[in-house]
Amino acid sequence: MKRKLLRSLLSWAVLSPLIVLVLFPFAVMISTALKPETEVMSYPPRWLPRHWSFASFPAMWEQAHFSTAIPSSLIICFGSVLLTLCVAIPAAYALARLQFRLKPFYRLFLLVTQMLAPVLLILGLFRMAAAVPFGDGSLVNTRLGVILIYGAFQIAFSVWMLSAYFAAIPRDIEEAAWIDGCGRIRAIWHMFLPLAVPAIAVCASVAFVYGWNEYVVALTMLRSQDKQTVTLQAVNLVAGRYSVEWNQVMAATLVATLPVAVVFAALQRFMVRGLTLGAVK
Amino acid sequence: MGRQATGFGRRAALGGAASLPLLRPTWASAAETVHFVVAEYSNATGPYFQQMADEFHKANPDIEVNIDVVNWNSLLQTLQTDISGGTTPDLSIIGTRWLLDFVKDGVAEPLDSFMTPQFRNRFVPIFLQPGSIGGKVYGLPIAASARAMFYNKEMLTKAGFPNGPATWNDVVAAAKKVKAAGAYGFGLQGKEIETDVYWYYALWSYGGELVNKQGKAVAFDSPAGVKALTLYKMMIDQGLTETAVTSYNREDLQNLFKQGRLSMVITAPFLIGQIAKESPNLQYGIVPVPKGTTESTYAVTDSIVMFKNSKVKKSAFKFLDFIFTKEPRVLFNKNEGFLPTTKAVAEDPYFANDPRLKVFVDLMPRAHFAPVIVGWEDVAKDVIDALQSVYLGHAQPAAALKRASQQADQVL
Amino acid sequence: MVSAGRASEQVRPPALLDAWPSFRLLARQNLALLLILPSLLLAVAIILYPFFVIVRLSLSNVSPFGQLRGFVGWANYAGVLADPVFYGSLVRTLIWTATVVGGTVLISVPVALVLQQDFYGRGIARTIVMLPWALSLAMAAILWEWSFNADYGMINGILQGLRLISGPIHWMARADTAFPVEIGVGILVSIPFTATIFQGGLSSMPTDIYEAARIDGASAWQQFRYLTLPLLKPFIEIAMVLNVIYVFNSFPIIWVMTQGGPDNATHILVTYAYQLAFSLGRPGPAAAVSVLMLAIVLTFTVVYMRLQREEA
Repeated sequence: MKRKLLRSLLSWAVLSPLIVLVLFPFAVMISTALKPETEVMSYPPRWLPRHWSFASFPAMWEQAHFSTAIPSSLIICFGSVLLTLCVAIPAAYALARLQFRLKPFYRLFLLVTQMLAPVLLILGLFRMAAAVPFGDGSLVNTRLGVILIYGAFQIAFSVWMLSAYFAAIPRDIEEAAWIDGCGRIRAIWHMFLPLAVPAIAVCASVAFVYGWNEYVVALTMLRSQDKQTVTLQAVNLVAGRYSVEWNQVMAATLVATLPVAVVFAALQRFMVRGLTLGAVK
Repeated sequence: MGRQATGFGRRAALGGAASLPLLRPTWASAAETVHFVVAEYSNATGPYFQQMADEFHKANPDIEVNIDVVNWNSLLQTLQTDISGGTTPDLSIIGTRWLLDFVKDGVAEPLDSFMTPQFRNRFVPIFLQPGSIGGKVYGLPIAASARAMFYNKEMLTKAGFPNGPATWNDVVAAAKKVKAAGAYGFGLQGKEIETDVYWYYALWSYGGELVNKQGKAVAFDSPAGVKALTLYKMMIDQGLTETAVTSYNREDLQNLFKQGRLSMVITAPFLIGQIAKESPNLQYGIVPVPKGTTESTYAVTDSIVMFKNSKVKKSAFKFLDFIFTKEPRVLFNKNEGFLPTTKAVAEDPYFANDPRLKVFVDLMPRAHFAPVIVGWEDVAKDVIDALQSVYLGHAQPAAALKRASQQADQVL
Repeated sequence: MVSAGRASEQVRPPALLDAWPSFRLLARQNLALLLILPSLLLAVAIILYPFFVIVRLSLSNVSPFGQLRGFVGWANYAGVLADPVFYGSLVRTLIWTATVVGGTVLISVPVALVLQQDFYGRGIARTIVMLPWALSLAMAAILWEWSFNADYGMINGILQGLRLISGPIHWMARADTAFPVEIGVGILVSIPFTATIFQGGLSSMPTDIYEAARIDGASAWQQFRYLTLPLLKPFIEIAMVLNVIYVFNSFPIIWVMTQGGPDNATHILVTYAYQLAFSLGRPGPAAAVSVLMLAIVLTFTVVYMRLQREEA
């Protein structure tokens, strides 16, 4: 027990500079969000407000139209996660389990898709979306368009991560099922996928966070107020304004980050378990 | 048909609140949607235009106006992607400085055919000018503002200028006293948009010009320009401005001023509203931009343009007609703190009798508008780069301006 | 990750289409292709097609509003390559990438090592270290810019409160203070991802070799240097390649904090390209810069992977 205590103290001591830096922005967010307007720009700056005020939260909720932004973000995130999984899981399975001539080219192809940052492809993305007929217009200003784009940019990382995990799942399990007369598909469904769940959860959470936090593509594609995402609305409180209300901005950022942080915390267990799967011998 | 339409529009607008037309339109018209991109000036902008859209729709049930609110930083990008992708809106607010590029690309629709003489007459002529290119009106002035010097009465009185500084020499003298008293003297913008304009105040006050008469070559590297930039550099070196000039954009300077830490700043009328809301106890005055050899100021407009491939031009213009009547304009200017662009608003007692706004309005005869040239943003960037290099002490004024003029000439 | 798959070579899995044995081999090849097909289609449609649009723009005279006005061959590239700001941005991009990736890897290894230990509150520590990943890059940049604000930011507030500085430091005023701050933020946001990869690597290491080493009297440092590090090497390589790609293209941090200024002194290639396209209205040269950027990253990756293969 004593060794563990000593080890804990040492570990926290070593990690503390990083932890301070990580928590610092959140502390700033909370401190600024709870200040009334008049105290936000105080010189010299203070941590604790003289008068605590929660007014920035409802004000920000109105200004940033969070009542429509949050559902919009959720739709886009769940949609892109679903798309990413549907596309990446089969591909990862193929990379991990099957041999095929195109394998090295496919890997290189995936890597190349990572090299093109969305911010540089804006004009091209928009043209493409405008050229695809959908509903009464095109894919522009639709959540589906954004979902498709997010899914595409997530493919490389998801396939890479999932195939690494899948390769680490021993084949014996599936093979045992084959030997017992199980068809291939049933073997996958009953034996393989349950073991793959942690990896899939990790992949889903990464894709979710990406969709939630992404700015440039959402800015380009989503025009109407009610479709804009939480991140878009929060940044719009700052960008290009003649006068910025920082307490509202911080309140918005706080609310925008909370759900994602919760998802991450919840799935953190899976991340560790998923990562240690490869250690099963 | 035209006369009947304006009849409805006028009556509904003057009535103010939603009022149903007494007569149903006699022509068959399908429901049309006008798509309008609005650039956001403040929290009030979006709701204001939405209110206008709703009122217009009540008066014209067959036309619906969709508002897209975009912030200024993303506006150019938004319009570019729209035009490039062929999904242009019908109407949009743009910075008038972009108008020439729009027209050259053939995306803007000339409005003359829609404008009746009475419509044209509503506007204060000087504001219609920047929106006219080649004799045709492409942009209607939705927002207009000029610049003047705000000064802190308390600090400047102690410095010996109870009515504010009149010339640059006054500014320097006052700043010296303010600095000795422990505050910042003259606010100098060194970052982000309109950093170049902040220097143009001095340039124009010494009789300099931005571009030559034909608009084909820059003229800011003249002796007047060098004198103006040397003046600013001298003020920085002597500590008469805020420290680390290049980390202050206009909003930062305004914040310093509102907190009473800066005694002088040149900016637009909307600061009046901000001070009233955030620092109501601040004693301040407004005087014209300091004089060098001549008086001048910068006047800027933003325009509403109609896009050429709009399919609902008549309806779009109806909406324009509506928002350029008196009440909508009064409300807009009150919300945002801009100068009146229509005669009706200028004569409205609220604006005509406001002594603070009067300073701005009086400056208009000597105002310089942004020159109508292609690639305004490019030229502005070259100038800002030069200014920043001088402010940081990396270059001498004459050399920096020369370099900027060479780069800018390539654009023109 | 040593998989136990070696043994499976002897056991042939049943063909998917058992009823048609003649298609067995074909089916397996086609199965793989079928499985990767959706990803190929999506990527080609969404990523490659827009890229070809960009290539086309780079070879054309493009109006400020994205309208193509004729083919001009290499003119845009020539213009870009003659621009001193391009070279400044290029050099700075290399510095940016090297310092951010290097710093991230250097910090993530010990962090991963510590997080692998069993200690009280490890779950909490792991969650905290992950938090920067949960924050949108654009918002993180805004937050840090606000914190480094000379007059109202908490960084100066703390420094002045601790009496470490007498007056406010204007961090964003000059490139020589602003750029390191931006690099610092870049490192901070890259740590969660990298530390996760390393934790994965560390947890897949066999524990018996450490037992053997300890019995042989190896010190902790020697264990690290001769056992952990070599086994961690493939993960470090993966982390480096992916981080280089992400950091090279990383836009929000620098754009939000300094917009590449003052006087172009913090521009990297991606912010320079964005400014060309959307602030200055020159999408043609911007597209040329984008293509050049891809060429640079591609070259780096190919060269790097070839070096790895030679070593192995």
